[in-house]
Amino acid sequence: MTDTPKKRVWGRWALLAIIILSILTFFKPWGFGLGIGVIQPHVQLPAEPVPPITIMLGVVAALALVFSIVLKRVEGLFMAAWFVILAVLPLFFGFTWTNTLTAMVISDTVLLLIAFAIYNAFKSGSLVPKGISGAVEALLEVIYNLTEGTAGKWARFIFPWFATITLLVLVSNWSELIPGVDSIGVLEHAPAGVHGYAVQDLGFAETIVKAPAAAEGEHAEAEAESFVLVPYVRALATDLNFTVALALIAVVMVQVAGIRSQGTRYFTKFWNTGTMFSKPIFGVIDFVVGILEIVSEFSKILSFAFRLFGNIFAGAVLLFVIGSLVPVFAQAGFLMLEFFVGLIQAIVFGMLTMTFMAQATQGHGEHHEEAHA
Amino acid sequence: MEKLGLNLGYILVQVFNFAILLIVLIKWVYQPILGLLDKRRATIAQGLEDARIAAEARDNAEQEAAKIKAAAQAEASKVVREATERAEVAVKDVRAAAEAEAAKIREEAKTDAEEERTRILGDLRGQVAALSIAAAQKLVGDALDEKRQHTLLDEFFSGVKSGKVVVLSGSDFKGASAEVVSALPLTSAEQDTVKTDILAKTGAQAVSFRVDPSILGGLVIKVGDKVLDGSVSGKLEGLRSNLR
Amino acid sequence: MELEAAAILGKLIGAGLAMIGAIGAGAGIGIVTSGAVQAMGRNPDATGTIQTNMILGIAFAEAVAIYCLVVALLILFVF
Repeated sequence: MTDTPKKRVWGRWALLAIIILSILTFFKPWGFGLGIGVIQPHVQLPAEPVPPITIMLGVVAALALVFSIVLKRVEGLFMAAWFVILAVLPLFFGFTWTNTLTAMVISDTVLLLIAFAIYNAFKSGSLVPKGISGAVEALLEVIYNLTEGTAGKWARFIFPWFATITLLVLVSNWSELIPGVDSIGVLEHAPAGVHGYAVQDLGFAETIVKAPAAAEGEHAEAEAESFVLVPYVRALATDLNFTVALALIAVVMVQVAGIRSQGTRYFTKFWNTGTMFSKPIFGVIDFVVGILEIVSEFSKILSFAFRLFGNIFAGAVLLFVIGSLVPVFAQAGFLMLEFFVGLIQAIVFGMLTMTFMAQATQGHGEHHEEAHA
Repeated sequence: MEKLGLNLGYILVQVFNFAILLIVLIKWVYQPILGLLDKRRATIAQGLEDARIAAEARDNAEQEAAKIKAAAQAEASKVVREATERAEVAVKDVRAAAEAEAAKIREEAKTDAEEERTRILGDLRGQVAALSIAAAQKLVGDALDEKRQHTLLDEFFSGVKSGKVVVLSGSDFKGASAEVVSALPLTSAEQDTVKTDILAKTGAQAVSFRVDPSILGGLVIKVGDKVLDGSVSGKLEGLRSNLR
Repeated sequence: MELEAAAILGKLIGAGLAMIGAIGAGAGIGIVTSGAVQAMGRNPDATGTIQTNMILGIAFAEAVAIYCLVVALLILFVF
């Protein structure tokens, strides 16, 4: 916003041009323009299968290899090997590649680039990193101070989990904001029971449009023309597999933190027979509370998984609906909203993990208020 | 599960992906940044320690400085006292010299003024005499010739009659010095006359002359501690007391 | 066909009803934020701690609304 006035004027004209172009794309105000018309695309909860991206995986694996050689660190090789495995999986094991896996590879690549930039900056000896690595360093410093304030001496153990979850969720959430995500893909025949749309050839690309008025009456013909758009890339957190995996990792690490800090004494939280015979009534209550703790651990998995999934999936649906109601410009405001939702959900996921882990290291007495989360 | 899209294979892929990302990020990002944080904290701790040492050193230095300052102040006050005393002596000397000088200058100025006045009054004497004669001639006609009038007037002003001082005739007192006061300055011839007469009669060693117009005419001669009043004003005073 | 239409109708109504639960989360988030803002106004030095706890509290309260949302989404898109 501190640009020179000239640039701002330029940006204003560009915005106006984009608005006019989008009006011309969707309508025909003066008998001129594409006049695609506005439809509400089909929303599907499970990730859609798409063709595998073998070439892209090869490029990214080569990139990780080059980084590994440049930095003389072995970790890049793991990354490269992982990408190669991902590329090979669909060929040999009948593994169906999905569009959220593509999003996962994109997030990995972004994080790999950031990691490379930061390691390079530190290796070159500059104590004050600049640019994107400086921003990430500031974010990580905030995260570390937060962890240290909550977890004390266990901060060094908890911090990598907190930071990695936050960074991964943040990058994958923001990848939803890239133009083309959720909107560029392959046109496929609609599966049974799904209302499809006709296809219109635009010359450079094809798009789904409302079926012509004549075809609507005849059911059989409309069925023949039913196509749905399967996007190449869909936001990673709209896939339950990702959020459930993260939630499992978080909850398992909470248990690991508890065991590492308290040893086997940690399990008395769940199987509390210590006071059963000394104080008969309260002992039984304590035992039942211990059983409830087990339930609460499982509810944590559900809560983690569905919070992230619900927010991001609802955001995607919201963008679809707004786009189909007001196709011109209105989506921009909701993209802004999604920007903040993605940031907040990333921080909340990481911070809850950190808080649970810190509480697990502190033993009895303080784990009642989070039982309902 | 099917409709939710949940699948153990995908979950495992995500878990592996997370693990590998975690390793890369720990090695490439977190360790350097935590190292930097540690270094920064160590630097800050070192800085605080340095600051504490510096503060101690400063406290010591301040005490030292206070001591030095006290000594310096004592020294300074001593020097100032001495200087003040010396200056007072010097001032006294200078003032005395200045006063002497001033007195001398005043004396000279007074003498000059006296001489000047004497000269002016001497000049006046001729004019007064001429005016008086002219006025007297108008009043009494040409009873007296002009030469006679001049002689009379000279006698009136100088109190000297045919080579003798009028007031001295018939008196005999001696003194070491004599002062002669006249209403108008005497001519040098008259002064010589008066001087020789006084020296002869009183045995005085020196004679000084003074002019005081308030006596109107004649002479007042002070010899030692005696005063011979031969002045016109004295005579008028006597006349007044007689008439009363 | 009648049955299919009734099923769709039931889905839509059910999804709408499921979202009623979001009322509680909305009220809860409002209470949390109001308390946190008052606390920050009274003790600005503790803003950092209060913000952290506020975000955690909002996340817990929001979780309920998210459950509702997930149920609604499941009804709409899965069943």
